[in-house]
Amino acid sequence: MRQYATRMALATIILAAGLITGAGAQETIKIGVIQPLTGAFAASGNYVANGAKIAADEINAKGGVLGKKLELVIEDNKSNPTEAATVAEKLIVRDKVPVMMGAWGSGFTLAIMPKLMEYKVPMLVETSSAGKITTSGNPYIFRISPPSSVEAVAFAKIIDKLKIGKADFLVVNNDWGRGAADDFGKMFKEHNIKVGLVETMDPPAQDMSAQLAKIKASDADTLIITTAVEQLTLIFKQAAALGLKKRIITTGGSQNPDQLIEQAGAAANDTTHITFFTPWNPNVSADPAMAKAFIEEWKKRGHPFAGLTESFRGYDGIRTIAAAITKAGKAEPEAIRAAFWQVEIPGMNGPIKFNKAGPAGQESGQSNPGIYLIKIENGKVVLPSA
Amino acid sequence: MKRVLPAFWLVVFFTVPLWLQDQYILHVLITTGIFIIAAMSLNLLLGYTGQLSLGHVAFFGIGAYASALTTLGFDVELGGFRVVHEPWPAIIGFFVGIVIAGMSGYLIGRLSFKVRGAYFVIVTISFAEVTRLVALNWVELTQGPLALTNIPPFTLGFPGLGTYTLWSKTAYYYLVGVVGLVTYLVISRLVGSYIGRAMIALKENESLASSVGIDVTRYLVLAAVVSAAIAGAAGSLYAHYLKIIDPDIFLFIYTVTMVIMVITGGKGTLAGPIVGGIIFGFVPVIVRPFAAPAVQWILYGGLMILIVFVLPQGIVPAVERWLANWTQSKGKLAGVILAGNSKPGAGK
Amino acid sequence: MSLRGDPEAQFHTILQMARAGCIDARDEQVDQFFQHLVNAVVLGGTYALLGIGLTLIFGIMRVVNFTHGELYAFGAYIVYLVGATLGLNFFLGLVVAVIAGVLLGALIEITLLRPMRSADIDTVMLVMIGAWIVMQNTELLIWGGVAKAIVTPFPDAPLVIGPVSISWLRLFVLIVALLLIIGSYVLIHRTKLGKAMRATFQDTDTAALMGVHIKGIHTATFAIGSGLAAAAGALLGPVFLVTPTMGDLASLKAFAIVILGGLGNITGATIGGFILALVEEIGAGYISSGYRDAMGFLIIIVVMLFKPSGLFARAERVG
Repeated sequence: MRQYATRMALATIILAAGLITGAGAQETIKIGVIQPLTGAFAASGNYVANGAKIAADEINAKGGVLGKKLELVIEDNKSNPTEAATVAEKLIVRDKVPVMMGAWGSGFTLAIMPKLMEYKVPMLVETSSAGKITTSGNPYIFRISPPSSVEAVAFAKIIDKLKIGKADFLVVNNDWGRGAADDFGKMFKEHNIKVGLVETMDPPAQDMSAQLAKIKASDADTLIITTAVEQLTLIFKQAAALGLKKRIITTGGSQNPDQLIEQAGAAANDTTHITFFTPWNPNVSADPAMAKAFIEEWKKRGHPFAGLTESFRGYDGIRTIAAAITKAGKAEPEAIRAAFWQVEIPGMNGPIKFNKAGPAGQESGQSNPGIYLIKIENGKVVLPSA
Repeated sequence: MKRVLPAFWLVVFFTVPLWLQDQYILHVLITTGIFIIAAMSLNLLLGYTGQLSLGHVAFFGIGAYASALTTLGFDVELGGFRVVHEPWPAIIGFFVGIVIAGMSGYLIGRLSFKVRGAYFVIVTISFAEVTRLVALNWVELTQGPLALTNIPPFTLGFPGLGTYTLWSKTAYYYLVGVVGLVTYLVISRLVGSYIGRAMIALKENESLASSVGIDVTRYLVLAAVVSAAIAGAAGSLYAHYLKIIDPDIFLFIYTVTMVIMVITGGKGTLAGPIVGGIIFGFVPVIVRPFAAPAVQWILYGGLMILIVFVLPQGIVPAVERWLANWTQSKGKLAGVILAGNSKPGAGK
Repeated sequence: MSLRGDPEAQFHTILQMARAGCIDARDEQVDQFFQHLVNAVVLGGTYALLGIGLTLIFGIMRVVNFTHGELYAFGAYIVYLVGATLGLNFFLGLVVAVIAGVLLGALIEITLLRPMRSADIDTVMLVMIGAWIVMQNTELLIWGGVAKAIVTPFPDAPLVIGPVSISWLRLFVLIVALLLIIGSYVLIHRTKLGKAMRATFQDTDTAALMGVHIKGIHTATFAIGSGLAAAAGALLGPVFLVTPTMGDLASLKAFAIVILGGLGNITGATIGGFILALVEEIGAGYISSGYRDAMGFLIIIVVMLFKPSGLFARAERVG
């Protein structure tokens, strides 16, 4: 009988837990936020989440949306696509969020996309850059970050100045990295730049000396790297240790140059980066006043300056969602989805407005921001003469 | 009494979706159920045959990928030849998953049973890691870290009645339940038969068993094949339920989860993996609202250590012993029946 | 145009000619090979430390020690704590890390393993897994999931010897690792403690009858093994980054090295460590960088198929 009693008690506890967490509805509008808070991309994920919080607090201080306060329900996708899909489901089914923002990495976003179709809930994509995300015919996706194809096109405008003869790629082994290698590679070929090696590394890999030794021995003059700040730090240190002398350009927008300078030291000097926001000189940004205010608040909260190059996406993302909810007039998934198409607000790196992308009848929304090229010299970030 | 209890639980179990409103809890029940099936298969190797297989998740993952790729179709280049596969119905994928997982079980069985004990542990871990790295790097086939997405759900065709596609959680709950039941019956039959007794003899004393003519390798390999096939079935269910599979499914932590379920529940008992599975499937869910993920895991680990210290044989045998003492002290004949072992062959 | 006296132009011309196939450019390939070799040797030293630590524990105590990787991570975090948080000397951090590793190992042995001595191997394994989960998540809780960098006093510019570059830090790591390896060897083969450990490894019962204090030997073994793992982590932490999950792969690689070298065989573990590093570097450099970490495991499977007792063990009764 004890077995029976134990199991009965267990079942009761489970039920109770279910009921308790289900109840407690308040007058808030919930926005689901899915980011990698742990795992290989934890640094970036935390920056975005903190940027989102600043936006939510700012909006709430001004009275909220539709008279209610915004409540961010932040979940960790553990830098893993299956976990991303699981927490997306939990947010939709359990927390009943009418709209979400996420999920940083392209692989994680792609994993969530079927759920969006299944439950008909829209999601704002703030960082992921894989082309597939907006070309798969998912009308619930609205992206404010540029896919690598757009990044490559923007980069093409200044490429002739850099005089690249042949480039090698060192990219992280996921859709983001491989997509960047594909898109930039295509663009290079169109500009008569030869493509050499395409080396990859696992997201959690820490030892790239084998790939770098290969690259060191190659005859390319430039190395294009796409990965996040943790691996970039390691790559720069290991490249310096190998005496690698090629020009290095990084892409993807998750470089966090200040963190690079802090952790890689002199090894980060003479590297060039394609970024989407320049906190070192907010005057160059699309809306200088807003940029300055955001930077101030970020500093006030004690967050590392290095995080600004990513956190602005969380900030822009929440503001965009709030605008959509306001336009929709109600916190319901379908209304918000339709309202996204009408949103037009200033973002940190350009106006946010969604254009149709993907197959007709099932388009996703894609906004096109600007890019900036920066360089690290003598331990400082230097902006080229814009 | 013994027959009534399980029947009662079966009824409760099958009516759950009718009164459970919370879809999220249903989701947890489904994934826990799938892991319980995998744990039961691990129990066959770990509990009954006494082999410390720590690469079990490899079979689970192989089943998942095989099933997913069968239903999604693929197009790869193998040694100069293009191998193209058109998508097949999901239900076929399920059986393909079972077969391929079973085959890898055979392979591992034949290879690994040259070594025993701790070496076997390491070989099995290595196998799982290699499988993970292959899944991660053979991007053309598996999409690598991008994951296989949009895996179609099961479609059951009833001649004359049309087809039924399993979209809802309720449908999956019953599917998992049915597969779980079948698994339980298969394993209990196997264990009760002479094959099962041979396996247990191997666990108890290998050289002695060998000396009375039991073909050690044959039975170990058989156990590995059956165990792997069942794990593959669980993997296929997982793939078609989540509709997404990525190489992280091969991570060691999933093997650990299954091992925990088996050992704390009670290895070598039929109910052990079920009890262990329910506990370790739900502890994270219950704790989740109250504690940060890191704290949850610390509690998880601490709970594991505690159970192992206090009840080293697992929960089910401890409860059975307690029951036996209790009913015997009451002097009832029923107590003797209740205390009857679920470990065939353990007595003389 | 004259190239005389213009080294840069000469170099570029040679390069152009090499690209055009006019000159044999194989020198570049040889250079690359030597670079891989050097990388492998540096890594191999620390792998050897990991392997020696585990082979002692695994061999003498027959414990499938899943906390080994966590001690590795622990060592790195202690160096970070001493250096970054407390602002003290980097070398002091290394010393503190090793000592802390030894103490933590002893603690784990006394609290978790000693009471479990009579239990079967899989139960002990489960306890070790539980400890691993607790340790890793405690680190996660204290330091967070974001990777940490350890700053060292070494200059950034590498030491260049011919075609090969090696950073001062890595050179230091190699030297310290070699010293520790030699130290372990001396401990096992030249001290009374080592003798007792070897006796326990060969035959526990006889050793006990001969007056060896088995309990104490077990504690000492686990403590020393853990200290070596912590040392490996403390040395590699500054080379890479410090993350809570850094120990997972280290654990598995340590097992690979133990298999390669044979249970309880520290010479084997040392050589095994270097072999693993070499296979990884060559495999990653010439075959596929993505499969780098798979190399170790492939080794295990191959060795198990053909020589299950390890490359260096004498015919030992399997199992």
